[in-house]
Amino acid sequence: MHELSVCQALLRQVAKLAEGRGASVVESITIEVGPLCGVEPMLLASAFGILRAGGCAAQAALLIEETPVTIGCLNCGVQAQTAPSRLVCAACGGFRIRIVAGDELRLRRVELRAPASVSLA
Amino acid sequence: MCETCGCAVTPGIAHLHGGENVVIEVLQDLLAANNEAAAHNREHLDRHGVLAINLMSSPGAGKTALLEATIVALRDRYRIAVIEGDLETDNDAARIRAHGVPAIQVTTGTACHLDAHLVHRALHDLPLAGLDLLFIENVGNLVCPASFDLGQHRNVTLLSVTEGDDKPAKYPVIFRASDLVVLSKTDLLEVLGDFDPLRAAAAVRALGRDTPVILTAARRIPDVESWLNWLEGELGALRPIAQRPRSMLAAPVGA
Repeated sequence: MHELSVCQALLRQVAKLAEGRGASVVESITIEVGPLCGVEPMLLASAFGILRAGGCAAQAALLIEETPVTIGCLNCGVQAQTAPSRLVCAACGGFRIRIVAGDELRLRRVELRAPASVSLA
Repeated sequence: MCETCGCAVTPGIAHLHGGENVVIEVLQDLLAANNEAAAHNREHLDRHGVLAINLMSSPGAGKTALLEATIVALRDRYRIAVIEGDLETDNDAARIRAHGVPAIQVTTGTACHLDAHLVHRALHDLPLAGLDLLFIENVGNLVCPASFDLGQHRNVTLLSVTEGDDKPAKYPVIFRASDLVVLSKTDLLEVLGDFDPLRAAAAVRALGRDTPVILTAARRIPDVESWLNWLEGELGALRPIAQRPRSMLAAPVGA
C-alpha cells in the first residue's frame, strides 16, 4: 500500500500549486498512471478518498488517465503496445527496447476554482 | 492582457478573476520530492566514495543471510555498513551488528517500503567518510520498494528458489528496475525440483533488460562466489563514481 505515500505526495504538490495561485478550492486533479510505475490506480483512488479530507482538495475529483504500455524496439524500430510482463519486440523478438509509454506517475493538470471574492472587472 | 477585463495578468493568475476556473498544466512526477531527496543522498554517498546497494526481495528470501555471508567474506578488505528497513523489530540489525559491522535500523511502522527521506536520516547516523560499501536492506516486499529511488547506485533483487521461477513476470516493475537478480537458496533446488533457473532468467529477459541473473546459497552449503565477484566488480568501478551509469530508479519516471 505505498499508494498512501504516493497520494500524500500528490496532495502536497496540489496544495502548493493552489497556494501559489491564491486558490482555496481545488475542483479536479488529473494524473497519469502507467502499469509500469508500480502504483495501482484503484488503490490510489481509495487513498485519495481518505487523505483529501480537510484540505484544499477535500471536494476535488481525481481523474486518472491510465496509459497502456508501449515499447519501441531498438533493433528493428517497431513500436507497439504490449503487456507489462512482456517487454520484448513482438516483431523481431528483440529485448533491447525502450519504454515509450506506460511508466508514468505524473501530475498532469490541476483545476482550481476561481475565488468568488476576487473581481477586478 | 486579460481578455475578460483588459487588466495586465501574469500567467500565474490568468483568468483567476474572470469567474472561470483555472486549469494548470503541471506534468510533474508525483514522486518529485522523493527523487530530489534521493539525488541528495546520492551526492552524499558520491562525495565519500561509498557504493550503495539497495537490496530488495519478498519477505524471507534471504537478504539478511546473504549480507551476513558477504560481511564475513569482505569485512577484512572493505568497510561495510547496513541500513535495515523493517516494519517492526531490530532483529536484522542485531544480526548484522553481531558481525562487527555498523547497522542502522529504520522501523517503518505500517509503511511497506523505505523512501529517500528515511534513508537520508539514517545516512546521518553513519560514518560515511569511513565506509566503502553501504547495503540498504529494503522492507521485504516485491511491490512497493520498486517505486522509490533511495539514492542507491545499484538495485539488487533476490528471488529465492522456493518462490517460483515466474516471479519476474508477476512483479515486472521491481525486476525491471534491478541491476542484478540473485537467485537465492539454490542449495534447495535439488529437493524442490520445480524451480528452473533458466526459466527465471528468461522471465527477466522478457522484461526487456539483459540484467545478469546469478545463483547463490548463503547457508547450508554456502556458495556466494558469483555475488562476491559482481560486488567486487562494482567496487572496482567505484572511482570515479560520478561517472557510473545510474541505476534505473534514478531516472525520472516516464523519461
